[in-house]
Amino acid sequence: MQQHVKPPREFDAIEMEVYSNRFMSITDEMGLSLVRSSFSTNIKERKDCSVGLFDGKGRLIVQASHIPVHLGSLQGGVAAVLENFKPEDIRPGDAFICNDPYLAGGSHTPDISILTPVFHDGRLCFFAANLGHHSDVGGGVPGSCDPSQTSIFAEGLRIPVLKIAREGVLDEQIVKLISTNSRDPLERVLDLKVQIATNEIGRRKLVALADQFGIATVERAVDDLIAYSESRLRKRIKDLPDGVYTGEAFIDGDGVGHEPCRIQVAIKVEEDGITFDFTGTDVQARGAVNIPKTALDATCYYTIKALLDPTLPPNEGMALPVTIVAEEGTLVRPKFPAAVGIRSTSCQRVVRAIFQAFADVLPKEKVFASSADMNATMIFFGPHKMREGNFVYLETVGGGAGASLTHDGMNGIQVHITNTSNLPAEALEIEYPLMVRRYALADGSGGEGHTVGGMGIIREVVAMTDGIRANASSEGLRTPADGVFGGGAGEVAHLKFGTVDGKTTEYDISITNILMNRGDSLFLQTPGGGGFGRASRPEASGE
Amino acid sequence: MGTIRVGIDVGGTFTDFTVLDDETGAMRHFKVSSTPHDPSEAIETGIASFPERGLSAADVVHFGHGTTVATNMVIERRGGRTGLLTTEGFRDVLEIGRQTRPDLFDMSVRKPDPLVARALRLEVTERLGPDGAVILPLDEDGVATAARRFRQEEVEAIAIGFLHAYRNPAHEQRAAAIIREFLPDVFISLSSDVLPEFREYERISTTVMNAYLMPRMDGYLDRFMKRSRKTGVEAKPYTIHSNGGLMSTETARNYPVRTCLSGPAAGVVGAALVGKAAAFPDIITYDVGGTSTDVALIAGGKPAYSADRDVAGYSIRCPMVDVSVIGAGGGSIAWLDDAGGLKVGPQSAAAVPGPAAYGKGGTEATITDANIVLQRLNPVALLDGAMPVDREAALKAVSAVAEKIGRSVEDTAWGIIRIAVANMARAIRAVSMDKGHDLKQFALMAFGGAGPLHAALVAAETGLETVIIPESPGTMCARGVLLSDVTRDFVSTQIKRAEGESWEEITSAVAALEEQASAWLEAETIPDDKRALQHIVEARYAGQNHEIRVEGVLTTAQDFAARFAEAHKVVYGYALDDHPVEIVNLRVQAIGHAGRPLQTVASATGSIAAAKVGEREVYVGPERGWLTLPVYKRALMPQGEAFSGPAIIEELTSTAYVLPDQEGVVDAYGNIILKFVKGRA
Repeated sequence: MQQHVKPPREFDAIEMEVYSNRFMSITDEMGLSLVRSSFSTNIKERKDCSVGLFDGKGRLIVQASHIPVHLGSLQGGVAAVLENFKPEDIRPGDAFICNDPYLAGGSHTPDISILTPVFHDGRLCFFAANLGHHSDVGGGVPGSCDPSQTSIFAEGLRIPVLKIAREGVLDEQIVKLISTNSRDPLERVLDLKVQIATNEIGRRKLVALADQFGIATVERAVDDLIAYSESRLRKRIKDLPDGVYTGEAFIDGDGVGHEPCRIQVAIKVEEDGITFDFTGTDVQARGAVNIPKTALDATCYYTIKALLDPTLPPNEGMALPVTIVAEEGTLVRPKFPAAVGIRSTSCQRVVRAIFQAFADVLPKEKVFASSADMNATMIFFGPHKMREGNFVYLETVGGGAGASLTHDGMNGIQVHITNTSNLPAEALEIEYPLMVRRYALADGSGGEGHTVGGMGIIREVVAMTDGIRANASSEGLRTPADGVFGGGAGEVAHLKFGTVDGKTTEYDISITNILMNRGDSLFLQTPGGGGFGRASRPEASGE
Repeated sequence: MGTIRVGIDVGGTFTDFTVLDDETGAMRHFKVSSTPHDPSEAIETGIASFPERGLSAADVVHFGHGTTVATNMVIERRGGRTGLLTTEGFRDVLEIGRQTRPDLFDMSVRKPDPLVARALRLEVTERLGPDGAVILPLDEDGVATAARRFRQEEVEAIAIGFLHAYRNPAHEQRAAAIIREFLPDVFISLSSDVLPEFREYERISTTVMNAYLMPRMDGYLDRFMKRSRKTGVEAKPYTIHSNGGLMSTETARNYPVRTCLSGPAAGVVGAALVGKAAAFPDIITYDVGGTSTDVALIAGGKPAYSADRDVAGYSIRCPMVDVSVIGAGGGSIAWLDDAGGLKVGPQSAAAVPGPAAYGKGGTEATITDANIVLQRLNPVALLDGAMPVDREAALKAVSAVAEKIGRSVEDTAWGIIRIAVANMARAIRAVSMDKGHDLKQFALMAFGGAGPLHAALVAAETGLETVIIPESPGTMCARGVLLSDVTRDFVSTQIKRAEGESWEEITSAVAALEEQASAWLEAETIPDDKRALQHIVEARYAGQNHEIRVEGVLTTAQDFAARFAEAHKVVYGYALDDHPVEIVNLRVQAIGHAGRPLQTVASATGSIAAAKVGEREVYVGPERGWLTLPVYKRALMPQGEAFSGPAIIEELTSTAYVLPDQEGVVDAYGNIILKFVKGRA
C-alpha cells in the first residue's frame, strides 16, 4: 500500500454512519450464512473464516474477521482477479477461487478465497468475498501445514485465480479437482458450495441496496467510509511523537533446526503516516514459518487496531496511512517456493516485536508486556472409540496475557491473532479414548512486576488405550514472554511425556509422533505473560 | 369469590400491573414507581391500591411477576459469598472458561473476575468416566476438609460441580450430604441438579451463578411472599423464568439462575400470544426503551430459544427466550468522534439527566430530542399533557451537533434518527438470519415507550411490510406474565446414535424424563386437564459439535431422522443423506396451562375523523420537508376503519409515527396494524 499524499476528502458524517451499518448488515448476513451452513468444524465452530465487500476497483469497503490474521487478506485475492482478468472477461454470474500465496495474495494454502463480482446496470461495481480455512488441501501432512515442510509444493494444492463459476454455472470439474486433492473430500465440496452461496447473498444485498438508494449514492458512501477511516487513523498516528522506534522478537526455530530466528521492526512515525520496516529480519526459514505478504499486512493492521484504535472500521482507509517494508528473501517476505503453512506462529512474534517497539511511544496506560503468543497445540490420533476408523483431535492452548499499568495480565487466554476455543474435557472424553487429568492455571507462571503477567495453562492428557500417537508443540519453550518497564519475564513453556510406570521426560523442542500406551500422559504448560514495571510486592502470582 | 388475574413486571423505573377480569375479559393497566432497594415494596404498594381502583386482592386467582432481581444482583456483584467444590485438577475451569478473550482487538477489555475467588475454589479426589462409572471413589475425608475450610471462610453458598456428574449424580449428592453435616444452613447447588448436561465449564459456571444468587433470592422471595399475603392475595404467586414460562416460588428459590432474563422473556411471550390472536404467527419484536432495544424472533407463534448466553460477562446455559439487546434507545446520545463521524449511543442520558427536552438536567442531544425537534413527538407535553416538554432545549442540544457537522438542525435531527434506525435494522436482520428465516414473512411488533415512534422507519429499512402496535405497548411484559403457562424443562444428556440398539435406550430415557415431569406437575398441583408434555431433542450429524432442536414425540428412528433432516435444512440450509445422526440432549418440558387466550376488546364508538384531536407540523424528510399531519388519539380510534399516513397517533405512554406510504387499521384486539401501500407517498 503506497503512502497517501493528499489529505483525505471531506465526508458526510450522517451518510457515512448510516451506510456503515448497511454494509455491516450485509457482511453480518454473509458471515452468519458461512458459519451456519458450512460443514467443517474449522469454519462452523472455530469460525476460521472472514467475509468482506470491495468496490469495483478492489478497495476494501468492510471486512468481518473472526481471526485477525485474515484482516485485509481478502484484498490480495480481489487484486489478483483484477490483475489476471481483463475487464471484459469478468462477467455477471462469475465466481473466482484462489489460495496461492505467491500468485493470488493467499496467506497459506488451506485458506481458500471465493471472490464474486457484482454488477449493477451492466457495470462492475463491487466484489463480495469470503475466505474459509479448509482443514486439508492435500500435501505432505494431514492439515497441509507442518513446520518441517520446506516447499510450498509440499503444502497441498496451489490454486491460482480461476473461475469456479461462469455466468452462473458452477464448474464441477474444478470442485472435483480440489476435493480429490483433500483428505476429506466431502467437506471440501460442501464448504466450497457454501462459500459460493455466501457471496451470492452479498451480491443480492448489494444490488438491492443500489436499487433502493441509487448506485451513485452508495458509491459516494463508500468514498465517505474510506475517507473516514483514513482520517481517523491519521489522527491517531498524529497523536504519536514523530520518531523511529524499534523492536525485536525471536521464534524458537526455523521449523527444521533449533536456532532461534530474529524478527526486527523499525516503526517510523512521521506526521500522520506510519511505516513498518522489517529490514534486518533474518533470512527466510527453511521450514514453513515464513510469512507471506498478506499475512504480514494483516498482522500490521491487527497491531494498529489493537494499539491505536480497536474500533477503527476495517476498510481501505485503514491501509492508506500505512507503509510496510520487507526485504525479499527474509522470513517476512519469503521467495518462491518457500513454505508458509505455519505463518501464524511467526505472525504472533511480529506482533510481539511491534508491541515492544510501541512501548516506547505509547502513553504508559496503553502499553502491555509480552503475552504467551505461542500457538501451542496438542494433536492426538488413533483408533476411534465409538466407531470404525481413526480420529484426529487438535487442541490449541491459550496462555498468560501481558500485564498493563492498571491490571495483571489475563490468565489462560488466547492472544493477538488467534482466539479459538478449547474442547471441553467432557466432550473430549466422550468422543476419544483419552482422559484429561488436569486443566488448570500454572501457579506463579506470570512474570513479576508492579502488575504481574497472566498465568499459563497446564493441560495433561492421559491415553486410555494403547496405540495412540501424539504431537505437541509450543513456541516459548526457550524464549519467554518479556516484561516491560522492569517487569519480569513469564515462565517458559514446559512439555513432558510421562509413562504409565511414572517415568517423566521433559522436552525443550516439539514432540512429533510419539507413541502413547494406556496410562501414558502428555503434559503441556504454556508460557506465562510478562510483568509490567518493577515488583513492589513480594508475591508474584498465585492465590 | 371473584376472578381476576394479575401480571406484574418489575422494571428499573416503574413496576407495571396488568389486571384481567376473567368474567368480563376487561383488561386494565397501571404502574407504580419501582423500589430498587426491595422490589417487593412496589408490588405491595400496587396491590394495596386495589380498593381505590375498584379491585379486591381477595379476588385474585392468578398472580405472577417478572423480576430483574437476579440480573441486577449479578451486574452489581451483590450475591452471596460462594465456594466451589470440584474434581481434583479442575478448579480453574471456572476462570479459564473457553480460553477466548472477550474483545478481539482491545486487550483492555477483560473477562469479569470469577464469581468464586481462586482461594474458595477447592478440589477433592474423585473421578467419573464419561459413562458415569467410578474411576476414582469420592474421598469423603477430603470433602470434610473442604467443608471445614468453607465454614472457616464463612461462605453463604456452595456450588458442587464434578466431571461427568450429569451422568451420575452420586458423588455430588454424597459430597452435599457431608457438607450439610458441617454447614446445615448454607445454600448448596449441585451441577447434576441445576444443569445435567455435558460441557463442564458451562455446567459449573451456571451452577456457581445459581449458588451465588440463592441467599439473596431467598430473602427477596420471603419478603415478596410476606407482602403478598399481607395485602390479602391468596393465590399462589409465580415468577416468570427466562424460558418465558412461570414457576412456583419454591422453584425460583432453588433455581434463581433461571430468572436472569425474566422480564424480556415475558414481553416476548406476551407478543407471541398477541400476534397469534391477531393472525400474525411470525413476528419480530422490537422493544425500545430509554437505553436499549430488545429484539426477538417469533416463528409460527413460538419464540426462538437459545441455550447459551452471557449475563454480565458470565456464561450461563439454560433454556431462554433468545433476546438480542443493542445499546440504542430513546435516551441514546448523539455525539461526534474526533474524526468527525456522527455516532448515536451506546451512551444514554437514561432517566437522569434524561433528554435535554425533559428539563431534568440533560444537555446532550438524544434520539428523543431529535424526535421533539422534528415534532414527531409532541413538542409541548407527553403523558397526556402530564409531562411538559421543552422544545427549545431540544433545539439547542441538536443545534450544537448540527454546527459541528455543518448541517441544518432538521437535517441533523433527521440524521440522528436515521443512524439509530440503521443500527436497529442491523440487529433485526441478524436475528432473522441467525435462525435461517426469510425476513419478508415477518411482521414487526413494536412496543416499549419508543418502539412505535421508529417502527415504521425500521420496517422500511428492513423491507418488512407490516407493523403491529399492540394495545398498551408500554405494558407488554406484564401482559406476558398474565398469559404464560407454568413450565419446567427436564433434561438428560445421552450422546448416542439415533439408530439400532441405542434407540431403545433413548426412548427409555425419554420415559424416565416424562415420569419426572409428571411428578413435578403433580407437586405444582396443576389439574389433570391443564397438563401437557412437550418433547425436544437436541441432535447433530455425527462429527458436528453444534446441536439443533427437533420438536415432537419420538416414535421410530426413521421418523426422527426425517424430522432431523428437515430441521437441519431450515437452520443450516442443507441436509445430508445417509449421514448418521447423533442425539445429544433429551428434553421434556412439563407444561401446566395457566394462561388463557387473549380476548377481543370493545371498539371506540366514533369515526377516525372524530379521533383526530389536532394537527401539527412534522418534518418528514429532506424531500418533502415540514408537512401538516393529523394527530389521532388512540383511545378514540374505532376498529375496522382504515386511515392513511402520514399521521401521528398519541396515547399515554407512547407515540406512533405513520409514514406517508403506509395505511393502518385498528383490529378487534385493539392492535394498530400498519401496512406499506405501493404507489402511495
